Amino acid sequence: MPAYRVRYVRGVALAVVALALCAAAGVALAGAPSRVAGTINVWVVPEGADAMHDLAQAFMRDYPSVRVQVTPLSWEILYARILQDVSAGTGAFDVATWDVMTAGSVARGMLDLEQFGRQNPDLILPGHDPSDFDPVAWRTAGLWEGKNIGFPFYLNTMFLYYRKDLFNDPNLKSQFRQKYGYELVVPDTWGKARDVSEFFTRRNNPSSPTEYGIALMFPRTHTTFYEFLLFFGPYRRSDAGMKKFGPISFEYGDYFTGDLKPAFDSPEGVAAINTIKSLLPFSPDPLGSDYGETIEYFARGLVAMVPQWGAAWASFKAAEALQPADQRVGVALIPGGHSVSGNWGLGVNASSRNQPAAFLFAQYATSKVADKGKFLKFGLLPTRTSTLNDPQVKAADPRMAVLGQIVATQTHRPRIPEEPRLEDVAVGTFTEILLGSVAPEQGLRQLAQEWTKILGR
Amino acid sequence: MAGKPPASAIGLGRGSGQPTPLPEARRPGVTTTLARRQSRTAWLMVAPLVLYLAALTLYPFGYMLVMSLFRYDLASWEPPSFLGLGNYQAAFADRTAAVSWRFTAVLAAAAVSIELLLGFLLAVLILDARGERWIRSALLVPMAVPPVVAGVAWKMLFNYQYGPVNWVLSLFGVSRVSWLGDPFWAGVGIIVADVWQWTPFVFLVLYAGLQSVPDELIEAARVDGASTGQLLWQVRLPLLRPLLWVVLILRLIDVVKLFDIIYMVTFGGPGSATHSISYYIYKVGLSYGWDVGYASALSLLLLAVVSLLVNLLIRGLRLRELLGF
Repeated sequence: MPAYRVRYVRGVALAVVALALCAAAGVALAGAPSRVAGTINVWVVPEGADAMHDLAQAFMRDYPSVRVQVTPLSWEILYARILQDVSAGTGAFDVATWDVMTAGSVARGMLDLEQFGRQNPDLILPGHDPSDFDPVAWRTAGLWEGKNIGFPFYLNTMFLYYRKDLFNDPNLKSQFRQKYGYELVVPDTWGKARDVSEFFTRRNNPSSPTEYGIALMFPRTHTTFYEFLLFFGPYRRSDAGMKKFGPISFEYGDYFTGDLKPAFDSPEGVAAINTIKSLLPFSPDPLGSDYGETIEYFARGLVAMVPQWGAAWASFKAAEALQPADQRVGVALIPGGHSVSGNWGLGVNASSRNQPAAFLFAQYATSKVADKGKFLKFGLLPTRTSTLNDPQVKAADPRMAVLGQIVATQTHRPRIPEEPRLEDVAVGTFTEILLGSVAPEQGLRQLAQEWTKILGR
Repeated sequence: MAGKPPASAIGLGRGSGQPTPLPEARRPGVTTTLARRQSRTAWLMVAPLVLYLAALTLYPFGYMLVMSLFRYDLASWEPPSFLGLGNYQAAFADRTAAVSWRFTAVLAAAAVSIELLLGFLLAVLILDARGERWIRSALLVPMAVPPVVAGVAWKMLFNYQYGPVNWVLSLFGVSRVSWLGDPFWAGVGIIVADVWQWTPFVFLVLYAGLQSVPDELIEAARVDGASTGQLLWQVRLPLLRPLLWVVLILRLIDVVKLFDIIYMVTFGGPGSATHSISYYIYKVGLSYGWDVGYASALSLLLLAVVSLLVNLLIRGLRLRELLGF
C-alpha cells in the first residue's frame, strides 16, 4: 500500500475515534439518554423571561443535543395561547409557565410529571427532590386534583412597600402622634393604614412630604380581583371567619366557603369593600391605575406606601427618587396580615413531540441551583425550602425577612376552570361598587348570584 | 362598409385581413365541446381563489353559525352540547352585553359625528391654502399609526398624575381629570382617541371630493355673485353628499368594531363603562371566557345589527341612486 494511502487511512481512523470519544464525552457530560435531543419551545411570562433565557443557555451548554427556544408572551396572550394549544393538541409549545389561577383550565393539557418520571426514571435529574418545594408553592403551582401538572417556577406574592425614611422621621412621627394619638409605624391593620394614608395625603395634611398616602389599583383588569382579597382575607381567615365560612379549598380559594358558596356575599364582604372605599381618597386615581402606574407612583416618591407584587422590588431598588433604596424603601406584610398568592408553575405540554427533553428542561429550570440563581441574578422569589433557608438568599433582599410569613398566611384565588369568567364579572361589579353606582350589599348579592349561575349550581 | 358590423364583433383572422366566421360556441343555442372546455378552464382558473375565500370566510362563518347554537367552552373541557337558541337568549339577558351595546351606540354616534364635522371643516379650510401639501401630509400621520401604538400613547397621555393632557388642562386652571378611572371621562377619552386617529381618513376622502368639484361650476357660481358661504353650502356640499354618506357608512362600520384602542387604553373600564361590543366579544370568546358558543352568538348579533344599519342607511339615503349602483 502506498505510504500516502496508509497516512490517509490512519487519519480517517483517528478522526473516527476522536469523534466517537467526543460523542461519548458529550453524553457523559449531559448524563442523559440519547433520546434527549432536538428543539424545545418554551413559553414564558415576561417577568421570568430573562431568567428563562439564562437557564436555556446553561441547559444547552450542559445538553448540547437540545436546542431551547424561549418565547416571552404577555400574561393575556400566554394564557390564551396555552389554552388554545392544549385544547387543539397541536404541541406548539413544549414547556410553558402557567399562572396558578389558570391551573384548572390548563391542567388537562399538561403532562403528569410525576407519572412521566416514574415511567422514565433515567430522565430524573439527581437532586430533583420535589419534597424540597415549599408546600404551598407545590400545592398551588404543582398540583391540580392530585395530578402533578408542573414544577413551581417562582413564587409571587404581594408585599407592602413603604417609605422607610418617612416612617422613621422624628418630626413626622411627632405630628402623627399628635393627630392620631398613637405611634407612626408601618400599619398592620387596614384601619391603621387608613390613618397613615390620610396623614401622608397632602390634601388632608399640607405638611405631608408625599402627595398621597397609598397607591391602590382597582382598574377593570384582573388586578382588582386579587386586590380585593387583601381586604377580604383578614375577615375570611380570622378565627370568626374560619368558623363562619369553613375551611379554604386550594381549588376554590378564599372567595368561597367550605361548602363552595361565594363567601363575599356577607357582612364581611361588605366590610371589606367599605374598607377599600375608605382608602380611595388617599390614592392617586385608584380606578384608573394598574400595576405599572402604581409602581411608578411609588418609584417617583408620590406615595408613602404601595401594596405590590414581589417583582416591583427591582423597580424600586433602581428608582432615582428612592436612593439609597436600602434606607428609603422598606418591605412589610400587607396590612391585615394576608397577602395573595400569584405563583407560577412550569409545565410540559401533554401534546409535546419532545417530552423527554421538555421534562428534563422543566426539572433543570426548577432545580435547587436554578432556584437560587433565579433569585440572586433576577430577583425571582424562590420556591424551594432549601433556598428560602439559605443564609446568602436571606441576606440578599429585604423581602426575604417577611416572605416566609407571607407565604404561610396568604390568600388564594380560585384555580377552577371557571375562574376567568368569575373574575371578569367580579371585577365589573367591584369597580361599579367602588364608583358608587351600585350599593355594596346589592352588588355583592348580584355577583354571588352570577357566580352561582356560572358554576351551574 | 357602413352596414358592416365592427371587426371586433366578427373576429378578424390574425394577419389575414379577412373576416373569420364566429366560433360555433358563440352562436345562440349552440353548445360545443370547445365551449364546455372553455367554461371548465375558466372554473379551474377561478377555483383556487374561490376555495381560498371559502376556506377563509365561508368555513369560519359556517362554523361560527353552528357554534352559536352550542354550549362550547374551551376552558371547561366539556365537549360541545346543543343549546338551540340558548346563547341568543342569554345575550338579551346579559347585563354586560347591554352596557356594551349602549356604549357602542354612544361611541358610534359621537365619534362619527365629530369625525365627519372635523374632517369636512379641515378639508374646506385647507383647500387651496398655502402649503396645503405639507398640512395634508401632517394630518395623515395619525391614520398611519398602528392602533395599538396609538392606544399605548393615549394611555400615557391620559395618565392622571404625569399625563400631558392633564398638564395642559392645568395651565388653564382645570383640575386633574381621571381619564381612565371615571366612567364619563373614560368614554370621552376613547372618543377623543378615535377622533384623533380617524378624522384624517374623513378629511382625505372629503378633500379629494372637494378637489374634484369642476372649476367651471365654481366660476359660474362666482359670476352669479355667490359668496364663499353660498359656494360651500349650495355648490360644494351638495356635490360632496354621496361621498359624505359613504364615509359615514365606512366609519360607522369601523367604530362599531372598535377594539384595539379600548384594549390598550381602558381595558373596558372603569366598571364596564367603555366596553364596546367587539371588546366584550373578545373577552367572552378569547380572553376571560373561552366561551366559543356565546361569543359566536354575540358576533352574529353584531353582524346582523351592522348589516341592518348599513342597509337602512343605503335605502334611507338613497345611496343607490346617488352612487349609481
